[in-house]
Amino acid sequence: MTDTLQAAFDTDLMRQEREIARRHIGKFPWISVTWAFVNLAVWLSLWPLVLTGTLSVWIAFPIATLNVMLCYLPSHEAQHDIIARPGDKLRWLNELVGHISTIPLVLPYRVARLTHLEHHKHTNHPELDPDYGTRASGPLAAIWNSIQNRQPGSESGPNAYAAALQRIGREDAMLEAVLSTLAFYVILFALAWSGFAIEAALLWWLPRHIGQTYIVYYLSWAPHHPAYEMGRYRNTRGFRAAFGNIASMGMQYHIVHHLHPRIPLIRTPRAFREMRDVLEARDCRLEDI
Amino acid sequence: MVFIIKTIFDYGALVFAFGFITPLTMQIITRAGIDLPFGLTPPMAGLILAAVWGGIAQYRGRWI
Repeated sequence: MTDTLQAAFDTDLMRQEREIARRHIGKFPWISVTWAFVNLAVWLSLWPLVLTGTLSVWIAFPIATLNVMLCYLPSHEAQHDIIARPGDKLRWLNELVGHISTIPLVLPYRVARLTHLEHHKHTNHPELDPDYGTRASGPLAAIWNSIQNRQPGSESGPNAYAAALQRIGREDAMLEAVLSTLAFYVILFALAWSGFAIEAALLWWLPRHIGQTYIVYYLSWAPHHPAYEMGRYRNTRGFRAAFGNIASMGMQYHIVHHLHPRIPLIRTPRAFREMRDVLEARDCRLEDI
Repeated sequence: MVFIIKTIFDYGALVFAFGFITPLTMQIITRAGIDLPFGLTPPMAGLILAAVWGGIAQYRGRWI
């Protein structure tokens, strides 16, 4: 193919891709917004129910774990201004969802947003992608790696986020991360020394660890594995998750998100199906899907 | 203030051990009704576990 023909082909593919994306961008993600408030309300309600003895902590534990696993994605929609863009009437709702939904994860909105946008800018870059440390050879290695990244002496995980914030000159967000982490431990210790250590462990501490492992596995490791390519059409893959699209939190179609981050999560499967020919023509990594 | 916060994080493993693992161990032993050997009480067991595990985690930089 000559250079001129190739250029015309590329332009046409880009036009098709953008047309499809345009059909999905700008739709209000009411499911994600509802999800954010209901999920947080359920998690918060577990505390009085368990501490007053109304609900068994063993019933509350899996619910709290599910709450933590589910709490990141609404914030993710807010991070990409999917609920409302700056200057829009509902911008306050975008920011509110961003701030409140990750409370169970103890992940401040600004930290999540700034580091996540760095991840988009530098996906799979060994030094610049804050999520590069989630890279692992296989599923079990990814889980083990995620646990190791959260150890006090690790240079990945939270410490990689701190390094990214320092690099982009956002120490203000680092302060938020430090203060929220301190607040988390103060609450945990206060509950523990007041006689509610098991409740604190099963409603927050352990669910947070399980949730972080799950989120890192499906939102970071799986869609980028093996994470050695950096091009727009090669840094993320479409894949078939063992437990389906819902259990993988919609990440089977994460490639669409990296190409057009303002498409709401709930619309990515449809956008993927419509975009499939374009993705194949771009030699994207569509594995078993 | 910065010095205090930095020190807390520098000794985070030990802080977590005595702040959380000690009371958690005490309450697990008490609720499970575990009989401890050598006349140990639940608070003593909690403190010993926190000191040993927290100390190792502080030294190695990882809990597991």
